Amino acid sequence: MAVTRLWARLTRLDRAIVLSLLGLCLVGMLRTRSTGPGDWLIVERSGDIVFRARLGSDQSARLSGPIGETLLIVQDGRVRVESSPCRDKVCIGMGEIRFPGELLACVPNRILITIPGVRPEGEVGYDLLSR
Amino acid sequence: MLVAAVALLWQALPKPHRDPQQLVRTRMLMGTVVEIRILDDDPDRFQSAVDRAFAEMARLEEMLSPHYPESEISRLSMPQEFDTPSRETLAVLRIGQEVAAASKGAFDLGLGNLTRLWGFVEGGSRVPASGEIATALRGVGVGDVTIRQGRVVKSRADLALDVGGVAKGYAIDRAVALLKQAGVESATVNAGGDLRLIGDRRGRPWRIGIQHPRRSGDILLRLDLTDRAVVTSGDYERFFAVDGKRYHHILDARTGYPATGCQSVTVIAADAGLADALATAAFVLGPEAGLEMLSQFPDVDGLLVAADGEVVTTPGLKERLQWP
Repeated sequence: MAVTRLWARLTRLDRAIVLSLLGLCLVGMLRTRSTGPGDWLIVERSGDIVFRARLGSDQSARLSGPIGETLLIVQDGRVRVESSPCRDKVCIGMGEIRFPGELLACVPNRILITIPGVRPEGEVGYDLLSR
Repeated sequence: MLVAAVALLWQALPKPHRDPQQLVRTRMLMGTVVEIRILDDDPDRFQSAVDRAFAEMARLEEMLSPHYPESEISRLSMPQEFDTPSRETLAVLRIGQEVAAASKGAFDLGLGNLTRLWGFVEGGSRVPASGEIATALRGVGVGDVTIRQGRVVKSRADLALDVGGVAKGYAIDRAVALLKQAGVESATVNAGGDLRLIGDRRGRPWRIGIQHPRRSGDILLRLDLTDRAVVTSGDYERFFAVDGKRYHHILDARTGYPATGCQSVTVIAADAGLADALATAAFVLGPEAGLEMLSQFPDVDGLLVAADGEVVTTPGLKERLQWP
């Protein structure tokens, strides 16, 4: 009742602003719900973000670096380097990542692939990997 | 109502996915990815300390890397004398000398020509002919690199230095010193899997997984540690294959060929520089002699995975292994 009375006192412009803001709230809430830690991967080259993708959608990306193209594969919520122009292929040997806080790197091609966020405690049983 | 709507909108907007009590930053340095992670109620107050730690590692890379022609290591590798090595370079060489002596020459600072020959420095990996290996090993042996009155003296003018087995660990130690100086009490510095832990993980030890040397993506075991350095050397890190045979980058200074006694070695010590050199040396020596060498160092523990997969450890570690 109070809301109805308040609504009646608002001008058209007030109503438009309130409705717009509520709409934005709804969109924001939906986005928050659908993007938790570990939902995205980010690729940086020499410190700049050059690629973003959802982990949930299978895709591939060719990422240019100083020595050539690094082929990235996103599949079943995991990310891996499929091919790389670097000499030692350490980036391929790093395997797949899927948890927040994990990363892949091709140092010669200056490509850094991360899943932003902090890995939930107990998810993999350790804090850091010595290798 | 407008204020309420704005507040609601602010609440609903997607937030950056970060733990407010963790500061995590990464940089590519020393041929790998370096991650510094700080745990604190207000970790952002250490942003500038992290900047300084990264800057120090970058400075050391320029000083110690064979990839920079003007680095001190490159200049010390030239036949001409280089009279003014920095105290940092001398500190790295002293760690290497100590481990070279303890390992009776299995670890050596004078392997620059050999690692270049195998293609582990500039690429083009290949199996060298035995004559080439003999040439690259000329002058190599215990005492081939000595320090006299602040000057580096080599057994031969053409002996090239290789501090790859110490430099990364030493740089980690320098970064940790700067973080501690700034008041950091709980943090990790992770340079491509070589670790140094500052304090504990806010009330519990850090849980450190040790990479399984034959199953990528799996851990061999877990160790719970506080305020330690953990460095692992493995034959799976950098290698190439010829006719189905794998040749990895950890070379035995006594033979000139990749060492064959171990799959991996993990060393736990107070400093990453020493742990780095000891892990390489123990790997070359193999499980038995490697353990014996590690026992000479107080406050050092080690875990060696032999070529056949058997795991042996120093006595202090045996009871602390947590198998998956």
